[in-house]
Amino acid sequence: MIGAIALHEWRRLRAGMMFWLLLAFGQLIVAWLSFAQLETFAGIAPQLKAGASALGAMDLVITPTFNTLVLLLLLCAPLLAMGSLAGEVQSGRIALWLSSPVSGTQIAIGKALGLWLATLPLLLSSLLTLAALGLGVDLDWPRFALAAAGLLLFGLWLGCITLLLSSLFDHPAAALAASYGILLFLWLLDSLSGPEAPWYWFALLPHVKPWLAGLLRSQDIVFFVATAGASLLFGSYALARRRGDT
Amino acid sequence: MKPLLLARQVSYGPARNPRLTDIDLQLAAGDRLALLGTNGAGKSTLLQLLAGILGPTTGEVRVLGQRLDQAAPALRRHIGFLPQRVPAYAELNVVENLRWAGQLRGLRRQALDAAIERVLLTLQLDKVRSRLAGRLSQGMLQRLGLAQAVLHEPDILILDEPTAGLDPLQTEQIRELLGALSSRCSLILATHLLDDVQRLCDRVILLDGGRKRSEHAVTPDTDLLAHFRQPASRTGADA
Repeated sequence: MIGAIALHEWRRLRAGMMFWLLLAFGQLIVAWLSFAQLETFAGIAPQLKAGASALGAMDLVITPTFNTLVLLLLLCAPLLAMGSLAGEVQSGRIALWLSSPVSGTQIAIGKALGLWLATLPLLLSSLLTLAALGLGVDLDWPRFALAAAGLLLFGLWLGCITLLLSSLFDHPAAALAASYGILLFLWLLDSLSGPEAPWYWFALLPHVKPWLAGLLRSQDIVFFVATAGASLLFGSYALARRRGDT
Repeated sequence: MKPLLLARQVSYGPARNPRLTDIDLQLAAGDRLALLGTNGAGKSTLLQLLAGILGPTTGEVRVLGQRLDQAAPALRRHIGFLPQRVPAYAELNVVENLRWAGQLRGLRRQALDAAIERVLLTLQLDKVRSRLAGRLSQGMLQRLGLAQAVLHEPDILILDEPTAGLDPLQTEQIRELLGALSSRCSLILATHLLDDVQRLCDRVILLDGGRKRSEHAVTPDTDLLAHFRQPASRTGADA
């Protein structure tokens, strides 16, 4: 049933205008930035080679574009997710879900997976565009693959977080505002406090950046898995509470 | 014999200002029960409790003898529910909406295809099968809602003001469809239209201020308006 819910969510999003606008906007930004960075790289490549610099296309083109993709996902995911549950409540369709023999956990996991599916076209098309650079320049493929896996996991994490926030509100606009607020807070948390602060572990950038730079750390995996798992747990609890199953 | 649906001392809402207080009702196979009351009487809340969308604050709702809030979610397959606002996706077409409603209720592959074709014919939706739900007329949208509710052939059909907002012709068509559907399942409908009660139901519960005021059998001679006008203190359950 989880798979069916995920596919339904993906179909629902695909049938709306928002998905296509975000995809077009995202692809435009990624293409423009990656070409601009490639142009800069092509200009300084001879000097890098002459100076025997260790920097290559991976550092000067791919990783900055991956950073942009993270930002794009942070902007797009709340827009896609705001209607996931809050929209169902506002439109009255929540009755269809809550009167069905499907548990809150199945709904939460299925919808989060559906949101992740909706981020895949932007992610995969961007990854293909960047991978095509490998035809002309030497790329560090293991590092590329690791960063790509990190981005995919980040997309899934965003699906879980934004779904939780959508489950807490009855209006999509409120869910959107809360999602942007929370994500901005997590984004800025590391610059607001030092690594010694107890809440530093929740800061987003210190977990994302190493992965995009090709550094696989267990603490980052634990961060993403634990926060995504907790979001799904609270999301299904919110649905169960709505239904009166608690 | 166990009743299909049983609500026992059901209350909902905060103790100081409950939306429903100590409601008892029982539905046996073949029963056609109406909940009648003014706006704010608690009809929709009671239907949502009976459909398992809300959980009672106190009391219990049982379907086939099992508590709805404690039994496996599969128990909900016995219930079909049409809320006041048809739960359809405007951006999906009629068949896609039905397919999803069927999948949510556990129908798969051939069984789902067969069920969709059956309700398209029964509810005369065949001609608009490819039309987006957002572009249906109010009457057609109401039929789509009914189709979603009966797709899985539930034992209990719960309808919240199924003729509200329809023109006289559409109202008549929906009543005819409901009359045909009610021969296959037990029916509970909330309404504030006396005609709906007289035409579709054999029993009526009057709700007032979140409380059950009285319960009556409905016959062609029943003067529903007189029951409706009676002050709460002078009425009692007589059925």
